[in-house]
Formats: sequence, C-alpha cells, structure tokens
Amino acid sequence: MAAGALHRSIRTIQLHGGSNDSASTKEFGNSSLKFISKGFAVDVKFLSNRSRSFSHCKMHVIRAISSHASVVDPILSTSHVTTDFNQNTSIESSLILIRHGESMWNEKNLFTGSVDVPLTKRGIEEAIEAGERISSIPVNMIYTSALIRAQMTAMLAMTQHRQKKIPIIMHDESVQAKEWSQIFSEETIQQSIPVITAWQLNERMYGKLQGLNKEETVVKYGKEKVHEWRRSFDSPPPNGESLEMCSQRAVAYFKENIEPQLQNGRNIMVAAHGNSLRSIIMYLEKLTSQEVTNLELSTGVPLLYIYKHGEFLKRGSPVGPTEHGVYAYTRNLALYRQKLDEMVQ
Amino acid sequence: MATAVFHQALGTAQSHQHLQNSGSHLEFGNASLKLISKGFKVDIGLSRRGSYSSWKKKFGVIQASASQTSVVQPVSYPPNNSSDELRKKSSEAALILIRHGESLWNEKNLFTGCVDVPLTKKGVEEAIEAGKRISNIPVDMIYTSALIRAQMTAMLAMTQHRRKKVPIILHNENEQAREWSQIFSEDTKKQSIPVVTASQLNERMYGELQGLNKQETADRFGKEKVHEWRRSYDIPPPNGESLEMCAERAVAYFKDHIEPQLLSGKNVMIAAHGNSLRSIIMYLDKLTSQEVINLELSTGIPMLYILKGGKFIRRGSPAGPTEAGVYAYTRSLALYRQKLDDMLR
Repeated sequence: MAAGALHRSIRTIQLHGGSNDSASTKEFGNSSLKFISKGFAVDVKFLSNRSRSFSHCKMHVIRAISSHASVVDPILSTSHVTTDFNQNTSIESSLILIRHGESMWNEKNLFTGSVDVPLTKRGIEEAIEAGERISSIPVNMIYTSALIRAQMTAMLAMTQHRQKKIPIIMHDESVQAKEWSQIFSEETIQQSIPVITAWQLNERMYGKLQGLNKEETVVKYGKEKVHEWRRSFDSPPPNGESLEMCSQRAVAYFKENIEPQLQNGRNIMVAAHGNSLRSIIMYLEKLTSQEVTNLELSTGVPLLYIYKHGEFLKRGSPVGPTEHGVYAYTRNLALYRQKLDEMVQ
Repeated sequence: MATAVFHQALGTAQSHQHLQNSGSHLEFGNASLKLISKGFKVDIGLSRRGSYSSWKKKFGVIQASASQTSVVQPVSYPPNNSSDELRKKSSEAALILIRHGESLWNEKNLFTGCVDVPLTKKGVEEAIEAGKRISNIPVDMIYTSALIRAQMTAMLAMTQHRRKKVPIILHNENEQAREWSQIFSEDTKKQSIPVVTASQLNERMYGELQGLNKQETADRFGKEKVHEWRRSYDIPPPNGESLEMCAERAVAYFKDHIEPQLLSGKNVMIAAHGNSLRSIIMYLDKLTSQEVINLELSTGIPMLYILKGGKFIRRGSPAGPTEAGVYAYTRSLALYRQKLDDMLR
C-alpha cells in the first residue's frame, strides 16, 4: 500500500448485508457486497457462504475494471480481472477501534445496553479528541453499530481527519432507501468513504436491566447476581446477552465482513461499544475468557492494529497531535502521513 | 400547558407507517403509530385512509389506557395529576423546526439530496448553537429524517437543553430491534424524549444530480434545465423529486403523525432539511407554490411555531441565550422557563 497512499477508494459500495437467525427467523435484510473499482482491479475475490451459530451471511464480490465512461448507473457489470492492485506479500492495512464516549445514561449511571441513547457534551468532545488522534491514519471504510452514539462518534471523529474524503452512510433498509441514496458522479464516489451500520456491533444487550440504575438493580436482584452478570463471561442478565453471546455475533460479523476488507488492503475504522469491541479484541489478540472480562477499554481513545501477513499487530493508541514526536507505526503509515503533509500545503 | 411545566413526555412513540408507491413498488418499511398513555387518555383518535396522487397510505393510531404493571413494552406513564389535565385542555403546543447546518457536500458544493452525508465542523457548531437557542423551550418528542446530518443536529442541539431529559431513538426496523431497545424502568422512561426517524422527512431526492457539482451539472444538462429543476415547483430532475413531490410526502407525514401530537399538547421538535421543512412551512403558513419557492431557511436557526386553537402561530427564531431580555413567546413558555430557572438554581 506504500505508493498507493492516495489509492483510489472503492468507487461504489452497495452493501447488502444479510443475516438470518434461524431460530427465530429474524431478518435484517439481504446483503451482498459489491466492489467496483475503476482503472485497476482490486483483488477482492472472496465468496463466503457459511452458516454460523446465529448468522447466515452471504457475500458476493464483483471485481470489475471499468472504462472511463460517464456513468449513469454507479454499479457496473463485472468484467474480467487483468491486474492485481497490490502484491499480496506486502499488503498491510490498519484497523482503528474507537469506543464511543460518555452517553447521557452513562452520566446518569443507568444500564444502557442496546437502548439508543445519544452522547453528552463530554462524549462529543471525546469523539473529536479521538478524531484528532487518528487524523493521519488512512481510513477507507467505516463500520459502526446501529446506535447513534457510535455513529456520531465516527462522524465527529472524521471531521478532524486530514484527508478530505467524505464518509457516506450506506442505506439498504429497502429498495427505496438504496435508490434514493445513489450517487451519480464518478469523482464523488471516489472521494467517498463508505460507512456501514451493523446491529451486530451493538453494545451487549442488557435485557431487563436496561434503563435501571445500579441501586435499583441491586435492590431488585441482589448484589451478587448483579456482579455476576456484569463481570462474568457467560452469565446473561434476564432476557439479555452474556458477554459470550455478544462476542459470538460481534466476532462473527468481524470475520465475515471486516477481516476480508483488511485482507485486501483496506484500512478500516470500527466505532462501537465496550463489549462489542472487547469481543473483537479477544479475537484479535487471542485472549482467554478470563482475560477479556478484565479488559477495560478507555472511552474515546482509539486503538490501532496493523493487519499484516494474516496477523494482527497491536500498536496501542495513536498519539494526539500535540504529543511529542512523529510516531510512525509502519513505513506505509509514515508515507501516508507525509503525503498528507504535502497535500495540505 | 400552563402549570404543567414538567409535564411528562410520552414514553414511546413507535412510529409505524406503511407507504407504498403502487407504480414502482417503493417501500419505506413498516410503520404504525402507537401512543400509549397511562392514567389518562390522549385524545389522538386519528385513522385516515386517503389517497394522494400516487401514494397509498395506511396507518392506524391506537389509544389505550394501561394499568401499572411491570412493563415489557417501553412506554412511559405520566402520573395522573390535575396539572396534566390542565395542560391537555389548554392545548397549546410548541413546534420547533431546525434545518441542519453545513454538510460535507455543502462545503464542496455538490448536490446532496438523499445521500447520507454527515456534518462538517461548522455544521456541528451550528447544531450546538441552535440547541442553545431552544434550551428553554419544552420538547416532548423529536422527529428527524433518516439521514445522519439531521439526526446529529437534533442530538447535538439537545445536549444544550436545560431540562436534561434524555432523547431516545426508537427502533422499529424489525422485531429484534424493538426488543433490544426496550427500557425497564418507569422513572427512566419518564425522563425520556422519544425520537422518531422518518424517511418522509428526508431532503428532496435529487435523482441523477446527486453527487454532481454545479458545474458538472450545467455541463451535462444545460444551464437552463438546471435552473428549472432547482427553482421550479413541479419539475423534477431526472429520476428525482420535484419540490411538489417532496412536499406531498413531508406534509402528509406531518399531518398524520406530528400534528396529532401537537393537538394533544405535546411539544415537538423537527430536525430536517431545507426542502422538507419548506414544505411543512408551506402548510403551516398556507403559502402558495410561488411563495414557497422563494422561501429560504437559514441553517441551524430554529423556528418556533405555537399551535393554539387549531392554528399555527409563527413566532420566529428564539433568541440566543446571550441576547438581551427574557423573551417569552407565550405565558406557558415563560412559566416553563421560570420553572427551569428555579430547578437549576
């Protein structure tokens, strides 16, 4: 990815994501992932059609080389591949994880779970702060949960990014939503960063504890029970998810949707929640269930991983702009940063 | 609303509307509005079946009195006290309209339409500013479009509100989304402001112009054509909506969902877009199509209307907090502000 610091982004991404919970036939819509890139083919050949405990995901990827034609339909039909975008040996991609900042129920000390509560003023500041820290790290795609506090965190963070591409949230709830959100300019599409929202990245669902404060809960259920739900790996609150259940769906989503992108050299940012991110980190760092229950993620402080040769290398938190020194995490990232410096003259 | 300054918000409004364009099977998804209130009935008996030029709409409103049981369904139950009755009878309600601020494509001078583009730093500031201006005006329910720039505007604005109730975004995409977002504490529900997202409040869909800049568009289609699309009432861009079409769906939504809330005394805030808000104002102020074409809405400046005696009274823009004097729009609003002052002393 060295020279392709300003590599063209994917022309259009129409994401259709499908996951079926066979147990209760819940449907989240149909999904198939299409990538189309102009000028050169991006080696994104993966086709996964698997059944998993909870989800059944089907993804098709279409490679295409398109000619320089004025496009009316942003989706081109596929054609054969001639060149590879990158030699696989040197594919390196960055993965940024950001946990959202303070929400209005955090402030009130209420169990939030999957209730869609927005950020406080402080949460907003944290998001902007986080954005400053990642302002020189490339981002080609963004994944967030279905909850506004994670989406806002991502959008606020990206207002600080030095590159000038624009996050565009993908809509595929319905045919109309897809149609209505179409973009008709090649150039504009190239300057876009697709943002995909996924419930699988939601915070752990806290069942009957959602909306209760800690005292209320202890009074209702007893101190030990509550401690168990909060701190164990596999003990769910009534009607809720255990950390284990949350991990299953979050990691499954990551493996099926996000990892393939990384494998193809796309730089990804994931803006999500304490438990969904912990779950992903458990996978990235191969933690035990004991280790993950003790893992605390700071809010609003981004975590950087480098994906290289099929491995995830942990690189900690990118430094803020006022912090001393130019810290290059990898040569590619250093070159990217340099290009940004030159660009913004 | 005279003395019931802290009248309780509706616990949840599950917005449920089914729109079908029989011509081309566009679907917005399923929606039906359920209002449930405990202790007293909210008189919102609305059930309409109407035909609009090409739309078939179907929705039902359910009134219910619920008893006090441990609740699985997220509704809030305001206490049954006389001040609520008083509020209901006086039936004066505040309606705030906020047009979102600068988006990342505004900055680049691209036609945005229904593409889901987020706010710039400036847009974020505009939203916060707007919030300061309405920080003393009661808000019981919030309606936004399905686009992040309007949703963020609403959430950012509400971080400034003095009343400290917590906006909660309602999720109706499917059964799981509804289940997962349930709240299990009475108190918490009472302190919540339901936020309903509706694609009917989206910006006017700009068809094949979406993503093009003004120069590109003039080159492609000719200057006169472009001017016609932008400034006429009933001429749509290719595959897009005319202002007339946008108005039809936005005003229909307003009349069916929002106006009943106002009629029952609920104070509503709408965060949306230039064209969808213009359409609503056309209805509120009874403008002609000629007049609405010339109507320009400032971004980030909230507009206040009072619904009283079945009429919408325009009250302009609420003053910012640093502006001189205590401007009371109505006696009820003045009392509300006073209570806030007392409360926060």
